[in-house]
Amino acid sequence: MSVPARVLNELFTQKLGSSEGKEKMAEYGGSYIRDRLREVSYARKVVPPEQVTRTDCQRSVNHDTLVKIVDVEPQSRALTMSFRGQPTARFIRGPKAEVGFYTISSEVFQKTEQELLAYEMPITKIIEENSVKDIQEVEDREFTVFTEAAVQALQVQANGGVATPLNASTIQGAGVVEFSVRKGELARTATTNDATIRPIQRPDLINLFKLLDGNRLRSERLLMTEVDWDDILQWTVEDFGDRLQSETAVDGFKYNTLFGRSYIRTVKTDILRAGNVYVFTKPEFFGKFYVLNNTKFYIDKIANVITFQAWEDIGMAVINIAAVRKLELYSADADPTTNADGLITNFIPVTEDALGAPNNQVDNGLVFPEISAY
Amino acid sequence: MSTLSRINFTPVSDILPIQRRDFALNDPTLANPTNPVALVDGEWMTLNTSYQAVRAALITGVVGTAFASVRSFPVFAEKGRYDVQAMSLTKTPLLYRGDYEFDTRIYDIAATVHAGAAITFIMQPLKVALISFGGRNFSGLVGHGTVGGGDVDPIVGYCTRLPTSNGGQLRFISGWAS
Repeated sequence: MSVPARVLNELFTQKLGSSEGKEKMAEYGGSYIRDRLREVSYARKVVPPEQVTRTDCQRSVNHDTLVKIVDVEPQSRALTMSFRGQPTARFIRGPKAEVGFYTISSEVFQKTEQELLAYEMPITKIIEENSVKDIQEVEDREFTVFTEAAVQALQVQANGGVATPLNASTIQGAGVVEFSVRKGELARTATTNDATIRPIQRPDLINLFKLLDGNRLRSERLLMTEVDWDDILQWTVEDFGDRLQSETAVDGFKYNTLFGRSYIRTVKTDILRAGNVYVFTKPEFFGKFYVLNNTKFYIDKIANVITFQAWEDIGMAVINIAAVRKLELYSADADPTTNADGLITNFIPVTEDALGAPNNQVDNGLVFPEISAY
Repeated sequence: MSTLSRINFTPVSDILPIQRRDFALNDPTLANPTNPVALVDGEWMTLNTSYQAVRAALITGVVGTAFASVRSFPVFAEKGRYDVQAMSLTKTPLLYRGDYEFDTRIYDIAATVHAGAAITFIMQPLKVALISFGGRNFSGLVGHGTVGGGDVDPIVGYCTRLPTSNGGQLRFISGWAS
């Protein structure tokens, strides 16, 4: 159905005044300039969410919040024996991890019904739809922070329990083990430790896969930014071969896999910063993403003030920290503990309240040509 | 002397009008219930320059030495809540704006801190200071001294029911003055 957005705004306020007015509005269209691309969550592509209910969770006697306890595969092995010998014993025990639940919410949006009349676009509908994506942005931020913590924890273990800077200097000085994080080919040979993102090379990805594949796991999914993906399109005929090079030059890379691994690209470069590429196993080896309550939408009108809010309740955890590895395409240190080059803010997600900064500068008068109405 | 319980801070008034805001903990380890100085409900926090929550009164000293000199807000989350621990930012909810009446166990009725006075009468002003009971320290409520009589510390509320007539809990209403 296509109706003018102005009509939709009026309908919106009218519906809220009726007895059944707290239901969601129907789908309508509108014409307006978008500020940025809004993607669905990439975390949900790496670890597909599972719906859980109260009965799947455990309570606490100390407070009123919930966890879900996840069993982790127990250890076992076989051994050779003589005809007279007997095997060693193993008292069975399986590790367990707790996944806690919390809420991700939109802001509480408020507007008077009179001021809604000043909009031609269906502003309330747009915010409602964008709220779902905003919530998923925060999901991605949480996921990225946890994933980064996992690779750094493993990296510390591999370096004898000591947080060790990983930059071009320490690599060239053989002062660091690259166990869960590896620098790209161009970054590791750089003469300075800087934040410049070097183009991704074919061996970078192969070496990244090896970090997982060499530990009785298999790399299945790549996660990278569109910026780093664009550098793949720069690969030459030596990387792609004749046929693919021709195809890529016309249509871009159209296949669903790269070196047999599926890949996820994201435009959210304020969360997954350019130069960071992660590879994951299948989700069953990696972690959990639980949804306790799917996105709920609340809307109310008190006198002439309309208030609405959306939220969801989720639990997310990296349970097997060995199931993810990272490629860094810059030469500086990105370990938040060491931050040897003082450039860490270039490599980690922006703060939560900095998410969603506008691209457009219309409110600053930066529209061209500048028209003054009178 | 108060005693610590599982629940130490309970509303007596409607919580809907209160702005309950989550702030990231400056020290995320305070959300871990195994931390000997883990944050408990009813402790008082303030904000640092990074917009993060920090205890309003340092709890590393001895009673009588530390007090809150700036505006502070009570924690509305029990010790070790899973939701607080599960978030990457370990945010904890504070009663940030609005008026309320609560029962609290995080107080010291006898402490006299920085020109303060023991809590002895209804509508006595209250302030925040380092207190100690049950083998550990907290950032909690103590009695404010005579207003205009030497106690210049910020007031965060007023006593409405003494612990002796309230099952050992101090009832107070919010109210700011400095």
